[in-house]
Amino acid sequence: MQEIELEVNGVRRRLSVEPRRLLADVLRQEFGLSGVHIGCAQGACGCCTVHIEGVPRLSCLTFAVQCDGASIRTVESIGGVRAEHLLQEAFRSEHGLQCGYCTPGYIMTLVPFVSRMVEEARMPEDEEIREAMSGNICRCTGYHGIVAAVRKAIGDQMAASGGANHAG
Amino acid sequence: MRPTPFEYHRAESLDHALALLAEFGEEGRPLGGGQSLVPMMNLRLARPAHLVDINGLPLDFIEVEGDVLRVGALVRHERYLKEKVIGERFAAFHDAVQWIGHPTIRSRGTIGGSIAHADPSAELPAVAMLYGATIIARSANGERRIAADDFFLGAYMTALEAGEMVVAVEFPLPPAHSAGAFMEISERRSDFATVSVGAQITFSGGSITGARIVATGVELQPIRAIPAEEALSGKPLSACEARAAGRAFAEGIDPISDNVASSEYRRSLAAELTSRAVEKACQRALEAGQE
Repeated sequence: MQEIELEVNGVRRRLSVEPRRLLADVLRQEFGLSGVHIGCAQGACGCCTVHIEGVPRLSCLTFAVQCDGASIRTVESIGGVRAEHLLQEAFRSEHGLQCGYCTPGYIMTLVPFVSRMVEEARMPEDEEIREAMSGNICRCTGYHGIVAAVRKAIGDQMAASGGANHAG
Repeated sequence: MRPTPFEYHRAESLDHALALLAEFGEEGRPLGGGQSLVPMMNLRLARPAHLVDINGLPLDFIEVEGDVLRVGALVRHERYLKEKVIGERFAAFHDAVQWIGHPTIRSRGTIGGSIAHADPSAELPAVAMLYGATIIARSANGERRIAADDFFLGAYMTALEAGEMVVAVEFPLPPAHSAGAFMEISERRSDFATVSVGAQITFSGGSITGARIVATGVELQPIRAIPAEEALSGKPLSACEARAAGRAFAEGIDPISDNVASSEYRRSLAAELTSRAVEKACQRALEAGQE
């Protein structure tokens, strides 16, 4: 067992873990964060994507011991308990999900992408959106709804931040 | 599944890492990005008793020294796309990076890991062979320089010995009059390659003076397409007969057959991708000449 300290969704906690335990399992079992889904455990499906130091990472390919001292965010930190982030709203309105198993991974992969597009003030082509989400597999939607949701979220967020900028 | 138990060691310096790897021998593995090793551990295809985490080591460098581009073992794939020297001098390398995994993997996976793991479908082993790179390996006993042509021995098999790790890959800077391209076919974008081909040509006065072509997906390690290389020598850039070169290569191979693609399909892909990569390289050579 190895002693580590993790900061997960803003809360610091020390815990003892076996080195072989995946970050995904530790987040689910020790922190009760069941939004961290495990699909393939080999880096192909993207369901387990979380942010480590702000960067999307596959928590099924990361050992918790590697994260000693790191700051981690899971889907539970996005949009509050009602999931009201603009990207989450857009997933609902554009049929970006059906069963929802892959959705937390998509949200964690795409939130930084949407932010970057808004910062750069540009609407990406569908091909660029598809490339950005090429590490995530969805078996329900056929992807069109997810691409539409990303476009809508970027548009909505640009409108919102554009308004703020003008106000400022 | 989950990995079998192991001990985790965080290397404080390169010497510390090498001492640990020497102590553990076959039982120890360096852990870089973990994008290939950890899936293998989750599937229990790899069962190291000790992992030596090398992520803190100063091996995250890209530098040009004389005629050589040195890439440190811990450089993450996404960084090549931002390096001017790779975009300008190593077009085939730049092409290939876009086929490595997907963005999340590219932000974490390392060149040292890809080279040492030697997945049969991986891009970077082929890129290393394409440019005639040298793999720099270190162990507690010192340094070994291994030509990429001699490094990849089969699926997941390399010339690395127990206790050794890749610390850098050295790519000779291609000469001024050269151009390259890398092409790949996979079942899905971001999935493992079915077949990929890289081509690098040198030229003079509008004609090809030399070619180097490397393919994955034919054997269990990248192979040189020597008949195609020979067929291109002396051909004009504007009519290089790339199709004939692709056919010359494909006629002499007996590709592997698996659940992804039959031997026959791989043969036709090898011919087609060789042709496309050579054509693209020639096109780039002609464009460079017009500037």
